[in-house]
Amino acid sequence: MEDEVSKCINCGFCESVCPTLPSAGFVASHGARGRVDLGLSLVNEIRTGKRSLRVSDPFYSCLDCFACLQVCPAGVNAGKVSHLAREIIAETDLALPQEKDLAAMIVSVTMEKMNPLGLRRECARWSSGLSFSKNSTTLLYTGNMYQLMPYSFALGRAGKILGEEAFVSASRFIRKHPDIAGITAFMKNAPMEKNVNLYLRSIYTLLRKAGISFQYLGEEEPYPGTFIYDLGYINEFSIYAERVTDIFRRRNVTEIITIDPHTYDLLKNQYPRYVKGFDFDVRYYAEYLQNLEFRKTGERVTFHEPCHFVLRDVKDFDLKRMIGNVSKMELPERSGKRVMCCGGPAELLFPDISKNVSDERFRQLKATGTESIITACPVCFSNLKKDDSVEDVSSFLLRHLM
Amino acid sequence: MNVEDELRDIFGNRVLTRKEDMIPYTRDASFFSSDIPLAVVIPRNAMEISKLMRLCCENNIPVTVRSGGSSLTGSSVPLRGGIVISMSAMNRILEIKTDDSFVIAEAGVRLDDLNSELRKKGFFYPPDPASSMAATVGGSINTNAGGLRASLYGATKEWVLGMEVVLPTGEIQQFGGKTLKRTKGYDFTALMVGSEGTLAIITKAILKIRPMPEELGRIMAYFTDIENVGRSIMHLKSSGFIPYIAEFLDKGSLESVKIAKGIDYPKESNYLLMVDMASTHESISRLMEETSSVIKRFNPVSISITTDRAEMEKMYEARKGLYSSSLLLRESRDQYIVIADIVVPLSELSSAMREMRDIIDRSGIKAILFGHIGDGNIHGNIFASPGSEENRKKVEKLQLDLGMVAIRHNGSVSAEHGIGVEKKELLREEMKFHNSEYTLDIMKRIKEVFDPKGLLNRGKIFD
Repeated sequence: MEDEVSKCINCGFCESVCPTLPSAGFVASHGARGRVDLGLSLVNEIRTGKRSLRVSDPFYSCLDCFACLQVCPAGVNAGKVSHLAREIIAETDLALPQEKDLAAMIVSVTMEKMNPLGLRRECARWSSGLSFSKNSTTLLYTGNMYQLMPYSFALGRAGKILGEEAFVSASRFIRKHPDIAGITAFMKNAPMEKNVNLYLRSIYTLLRKAGISFQYLGEEEPYPGTFIYDLGYINEFSIYAERVTDIFRRRNVTEIITIDPHTYDLLKNQYPRYVKGFDFDVRYYAEYLQNLEFRKTGERVTFHEPCHFVLRDVKDFDLKRMIGNVSKMELPERSGKRVMCCGGPAELLFPDISKNVSDERFRQLKATGTESIITACPVCFSNLKKDDSVEDVSSFLLRHLM
Repeated sequence: MNVEDELRDIFGNRVLTRKEDMIPYTRDASFFSSDIPLAVVIPRNAMEISKLMRLCCENNIPVTVRSGGSSLTGSSVPLRGGIVISMSAMNRILEIKTDDSFVIAEAGVRLDDLNSELRKKGFFYPPDPASSMAATVGGSINTNAGGLRASLYGATKEWVLGMEVVLPTGEIQQFGGKTLKRTKGYDFTALMVGSEGTLAIITKAILKIRPMPEELGRIMAYFTDIENVGRSIMHLKSSGFIPYIAEFLDKGSLESVKIAKGIDYPKESNYLLMVDMASTHESISRLMEETSSVIKRFNPVSISITTDRAEMEKMYEARKGLYSSSLLLRESRDQYIVIADIVVPLSELSSAMREMRDIIDRSGIKAILFGHIGDGNIHGNIFASPGSEENRKKVEKLQLDLGMVAIRHNGSVSAEHGIGVEKKELLREEMKFHNSEYTLDIMKRIKEVFDPKGLLNRGKIFD
């Protein structure tokens, strides 16, 4: 933390591209520079043995999109500062009680149920009637990410309806009784479930058309632990990642096909840091589609690039090229290294900030005037699905398959 | 009702009083910082600011205005506590009139955002301080910001037609207007430029705009000798070649750019002169060749021409980030940067640069030189170490000595960053050198007329 914050000269470049600053009403602590300033204060407090600051919310509201890093002349990553601060917060009493309770509840349920809402059975339903190659060493790993969207959406809404106090009490209760989390199965957003199931089946079909055979863990499939990692519970994440890896090993997996940017990033970049001998060949499903032939149409689409791919220098595949090859693709004003996050990562703890970010991003995407908007991440899809023009890249590609 | 209640009455939940929320407002891009202020407010319009100022007047509460927080002299740090007004939410572009050549923008609009909108109409607002990504309309007027293009277009003062301000006593006034010229007594618009938030609070401004140049080309010329860099630019201008941009980087600056952006430079060179020329599609090649031939007379070790926009943009961004990226050259993690910002007439540039280099070399303090050489503006990033009284004195002396070079060469101690907290002594020295200390008294009297209770930005420009 000290290494990162001490590189900052406070020029404010990062603040100008940080999506949460305007979305949080321009409160500077909810912008990239403010987070680095608070990180510096946190370091100074720890050094002097003080514990007076309650600084959790600015770090929890960070979207981890790394837009700040792209423009920082000194290479400061405010996203990394936020992550390191969350690690400190997870081990100390520096968080505001309501945030700590909710975070701890999510971690606790995930550790217990291998899914943040205890819905592994529900997360496997999309695969009903599909066949898999049980003995393949290649694994299709959904990480439950698409499947959770219909529920997390409803959960965020429940938080608002219940109000802060009741939601915190519920969090505390669920933390002690993780089985209760399963009640969220009754809070699903049915149209969203229909969409994500279509996308999961589209991915399945594309991979099969590309001649790939793979196994799928079904109801045994664990969530990858993204929330645990993102909330800074690193000790718990290490344990959790080991457990997930054990499942992969028990099923003789050598190659993992991920289908969303968050899971891809976590498995590709974080798992090897925390799990000894994590030597799986982690890929994104689009890598397998290079030899498929797609129809070129005159359809005008706008592509919302996922920040986990664009801002973290993923070079193994080029979704932009694939979409551009089958349509007249346009990019919004903020794209490439200036891409703007959809706001999704703040959905659970800061639904208002998340909504403001996604409203602004949706406005930018609509400003191109194309017929549809293509996303390539379940979190982006869920947050940007504000009308029927939004579609996941999987079904879009499948529609254009020759 | 206490003050906090009254603030909430005006601003609702846009009042910050938690320490954690206010920490970021205690610093700007300079090395100055303050204690936690009484409160931070985030207004949405001039009327709210007017109400605030009446409240502060009644209760004698000091006020500091902050926008992009990119000041390099501590102007936006609330040294005397009180209330910080954050202009961030007043960030709307209200009107673009290309036929009348102006744009009206609120004070919190960032300069890059302004230009991004203007570009869609083929226009631009020329002042481009290196901090333009963070710097705002209000802040750049208050410091009379210059930037890279000031070589051709001059500093902010050339581009402000009028503005709306809130006076410290709460009145909302309009200065200047929408026409390209006017004469109506004292020019309060000009007075506000460079006033560093000490006279009134700028809420919106009417700014002149220009059509974008049709074509740009760049010359990258590397030198071993500093004086030849100065001579090159002087001869270019006296030969009638007025650069769109003319930037200078010394070896330390080049090294910093190399580390931060991976842009290499010839080993044998010590200095870079980067010259951009603006012209038409038809004439750009000829202009670049002619410009290059003038520079070649001063023996660069390497010289190249490009019109490749991507390549040009990469170096432009690297130059703009130099203040921050030079931090990568620190010898220890706690070193900080004190930045010199002097300007001299072009005819004095060559000898002034030589003197500056010699003074730095003799000082025993690490410093790099770079700047907007096209208008005689040289910056020095001086690496200071906290905790050492000896180092502090040496750094202060170096800052003073560099300022005195400017003064002796008929220049100024502050070209574009303002005076703030940092350069108050240097300003006095400059006034003294020209037997014009009375000017400082006049400034104080003007301040009293605008701000009888001395509420706005206390401790900046003068005590």
